[in-house]
Amino acid sequence: MLQGNKLELLQKLIGSFTKEELIWANGYIAATIGLPAASEVPAAQSVKPAVSKITVVYGTETGNSKKLAVDFASKAKKTGVQAKLVSLDQYRLNDLPKEEYLLAVISTQGEGEPPAAAKKFYDHIHQNGFKLDKLKYGVLALGDTSYPLFCKAGEDVDSQLQKLGGNRIAPLQKCDVDFEEEAETWFTRVLESLSGAETAPAEHAVVNVPPKKTGGKKVYEGTVLGNINLNDRGSNKQTHHIEIAAEGLEYEPGDALGIVPENPQELVECLLDIAKADSTKTFQHKNDFFTISDLLKKKLHISFLPERVVQKYASVVQQEIPATRIDLIDLLRIYPISSPEQFEQVIGILEPIAPRLYSIASSPEAHPGEIHLTVARDFFTINNERKTGLCSHHLSETPVDTSLHFYIHKNHQFKLPAPDKDIIMIGPGTGIAPFRSFIAERDATGATGENWLFFGDQHFETDFLYQTEIQNWVETGVLTRVNVAFSRDQQEKIYVQHRMLEHAKTLYEWLEAGAYVYVCGAKDPMSVDVEHTLIGIIRAEGRMSPEAAQEYLDGLKEQGRYLKDVY
Amino acid sequence: MSENNLSPIERVKKQSDALRGTIVESLKDEITGAIREDDQAVIKFHGMYQQDDRDRREERAEKKLDRVYTFMIRLRLPGGFLTPEQWIATHHIAGENSTGVIKITTRQTVQLHGLIKSDIKPTIQAFSEANLDSIATCGDINRNVLCSSHPKQSPVHEQVFAYADKISELLMPKTKAYYEIWLDEEKIADKKEEEDPLYENRYLPRKFKIAIAIPPNNDVDVFANDVGLIAIIKNNKLLGFNLAIGGGLSTTHGNPETYARLGTEIGFIDSEEKTLKAVYEVLTIQRDYGNRSDRKLARLKYTVDKLGVKWFKEELEKRIGFALQPPAKYEFTERRDYYGWQTNDKGIWYYTAFIENGRILDDEKCALKAALLEVAKTGYANFRFTCNQNLILSDIKPEHKEAVHAILEQFGVIKHTESASAIRKNAMACVALNTCPLALAEAQRYMPSLITKIDSLLEKHDLSEEEIIIRMTGCPNGCARSYVAEIGFVGTALGKYNMHIGGDNKGTRLNKIYKESLDEEHILAELDHLFEAYKKGRKKGQRFGDFANAL
Repeated sequence: MLQGNKLELLQKLIGSFTKEELIWANGYIAATIGLPAASEVPAAQSVKPAVSKITVVYGTETGNSKKLAVDFASKAKKTGVQAKLVSLDQYRLNDLPKEEYLLAVISTQGEGEPPAAAKKFYDHIHQNGFKLDKLKYGVLALGDTSYPLFCKAGEDVDSQLQKLGGNRIAPLQKCDVDFEEEAETWFTRVLESLSGAETAPAEHAVVNVPPKKTGGKKVYEGTVLGNINLNDRGSNKQTHHIEIAAEGLEYEPGDALGIVPENPQELVECLLDIAKADSTKTFQHKNDFFTISDLLKKKLHISFLPERVVQKYASVVQQEIPATRIDLIDLLRIYPISSPEQFEQVIGILEPIAPRLYSIASSPEAHPGEIHLTVARDFFTINNERKTGLCSHHLSETPVDTSLHFYIHKNHQFKLPAPDKDIIMIGPGTGIAPFRSFIAERDATGATGENWLFFGDQHFETDFLYQTEIQNWVETGVLTRVNVAFSRDQQEKIYVQHRMLEHAKTLYEWLEAGAYVYVCGAKDPMSVDVEHTLIGIIRAEGRMSPEAAQEYLDGLKEQGRYLKDVY
Repeated sequence: MSENNLSPIERVKKQSDALRGTIVESLKDEITGAIREDDQAVIKFHGMYQQDDRDRREERAEKKLDRVYTFMIRLRLPGGFLTPEQWIATHHIAGENSTGVIKITTRQTVQLHGLIKSDIKPTIQAFSEANLDSIATCGDINRNVLCSSHPKQSPVHEQVFAYADKISELLMPKTKAYYEIWLDEEKIADKKEEEDPLYENRYLPRKFKIAIAIPPNNDVDVFANDVGLIAIIKNNKLLGFNLAIGGGLSTTHGNPETYARLGTEIGFIDSEEKTLKAVYEVLTIQRDYGNRSDRKLARLKYTVDKLGVKWFKEELEKRIGFALQPPAKYEFTERRDYYGWQTNDKGIWYYTAFIENGRILDDEKCALKAALLEVAKTGYANFRFTCNQNLILSDIKPEHKEAVHAILEQFGVIKHTESASAIRKNAMACVALNTCPLALAEAQRYMPSLITKIDSLLEKHDLSEEEIIIRMTGCPNGCARSYVAEIGFVGTALGKYNMHIGGDNKGTRLNKIYKESLDEEHILAELDHLFEAYKKGRKKGQRFGDFANAL
């Protein structure tokens, strides 16, 4: 049809195209002449898919479902659809009513049962009392035709979701042991229907209750959705992953959540009892009035008092007290006050409870309407007594459904760079928190920059925080590199900086190519050691003098490419 | 067979670069305790399985922690033999790198569980220093070769026993991958050195098991093997072997095409050279004709039945270049371990200790592991393992017998062996939960308590002296050979077992399924009825299995 040299030109051009370019061109040409593209794969780039986000869940026993789900998620991403990938045993059932597009890959075990990992989800959708009318879904069932109840679990999930009000994007696909081809065809169809969805689903309605304002800070009221200890049995650590739902949230990855902890009620009552104080008497604190009881519970710092407060107490009670840190209750017991007036004086010298800040571990894009925290319960020993940190103790013990007041502490210094920039994240222990936010955000927004994570803790088996999430990010490609250091798994202690050294050459190449470096976690010794190591790497790999290496790092700081959130 | 129909494992084998896969890269992966999926198939050929603690899966998933992956490593011990020095080495390796338990398998070797990924290399290196390896003890290849274990069985035991080693060597893969990956030996320059005329680059379609039995004791369950050799001995002279092919017990629940099968004797061979040649060529026929598309139908037994015994025999004769003689006469009368002290024709002593489910550890009842270390340190005894998961302290000179006995006495081994009931001594269970990925139900963790309850039933019916062979497997794959037990339990789901009855005591008859998916209460109720009927209705001297078979 084409004249000789046109055809030649076209063939030459086509020959030089990548597959993606070819798909795009196909769409482009079709669009130019007003026809739908004939391509099997939805056109990328120019034709933005109508559906931008899907959730892909999997229930796996042998890993096949997982493999497919990972495959689906990465394919979806390539066509511009953001896919959140979750294993059903980690899927929060409360999220289900919020889902708009859900793809489930689930296998069937023994006598028609779902895999153990999908049991909770399976049971949940077999209950009544909730509707999933927003839901559009598709189920891919894996099974083995040599069993009588072939793909039973998948069938059940498919029909239950419909009963609950969901609409199928694609009919249930049942696959036998040689599932690869069928699964791929099915998913391609699903993707097509997603990109061609006639009516894009309405933006889901958010009821915006304006958060109440006090003292210039928005105070949010949130509800605890989940609280799990991420460390396994036998760990020396206790690190809680806490999920909080709140409305009208405004934050960015890198921000922190501020919370003013409360003193335990029993302790306050005990104090009032010892002091023989009138708990209903009101006091002015800053610009408000409080009862003594409320003041002690919510506003004043009463445990492990600093020496300066202890010395003020000494002068109130006019006794000699050694310079030490001690709880108020112990002061009252050992060095008793002589009158109720003295107790009022004591109230006057107490310092306010300082808010605790926690780096936020969630991403507004990946976890809308929620804030996640990674809270280490700190134990410390005073006079041979094991004590817990007031706030971490309080938070880690907060049960689901508890309501919490908090505010957002903006951290303008610790923000993600432009989406195409590469980042190196060094975050051992709870230092992982903001990086979970970063990676989830970059994953959800399809940022093209590469991501490198260094994580460390005591033991691989019990302390690898967010291990399965990190593995999923590696599989779907959002994490380009991950290196982990577990200090107590071998004779010699290995920390994140040792892993950095092992990869010094690549790390320096990343720096040279413009990567941003983020450090989060303990100020000392971690961040100090990491900084020394960084300088060492720059010196060695860049063949520089110590001074020049320091200058190089200072340069990074100036360009906003070396950022720390340490505590 | 078209390439498309090949099972995925076939591709893995072919592309594994002579069983190297990407194991080296997998070992370096910091974020998981697992190795890559394809490598999980390849590593079996190096004698390991990747497993995980199934008890902990759910709780860890909630914590966003990956499964606790560990590895099981199984030694290659043709005929099940260790020197005392090798036992000491194994003892220490188990303590340092694994759960500490040394498990005697149903196929006459030992395995260690619970190795984490970074432990594998040091473990293999330590074994290597003791001249031990784990090559080809799992995977689609000839595995550990069995031989009747007790030397007192025949004056020519040693001569027969030597065949196990010869066959094992003959059928080893030629690849140097094991030495390269685990023992840091230099990469071979010339790939020709690795050319493998037997396995080529595709290995066998499925696992391959060989056993040698010395009648009248069929302790190795010779007919449960792909190839069985039965030693024909006359006037204390080894004449040759009967060759049996196509035995195998594993089945799949709900798949009627699968079945347990006993080996078929196809002929007699009268020289070492010819015997080795015949065994070798059985493997080449299976290599060329075995089913490579459906792993559930890939064992030699299906190949034999698909093509016919007659065809198979002719094909074999063609490949070996001589005719098989008609099978020689012999008789099996029992299938057992000879507990306690025994002596052979030369006055050498042997002590067979009862090891429940093959698990060697120290517990409140018996300090077995400590005892065996003490015995090994004297250097007076070799260690032999039986196919019933027991241990023979062997080759003890008369002047050393007392010393060994004293140690066994001191640590409670003698009492432990003597006090075990008749059925307990003859019972066997596979590993199953919590580490075996195939398990549907408990086996070794549950069997001891079930045996106690069955013992009470037997006592009730005054049958305590009956040596009924009871075996349990946590899935239909048959590692503990439940299908040739007098009472066999095959797990179907947690707490549920199919109950089979009617096997004989010689391992020459398969049992039959009696009741499906019974829980403990129903198992005991059924046995109560059966024992009552047996007590009343048995003919004189009739074994329980024979009685049940006639029901």
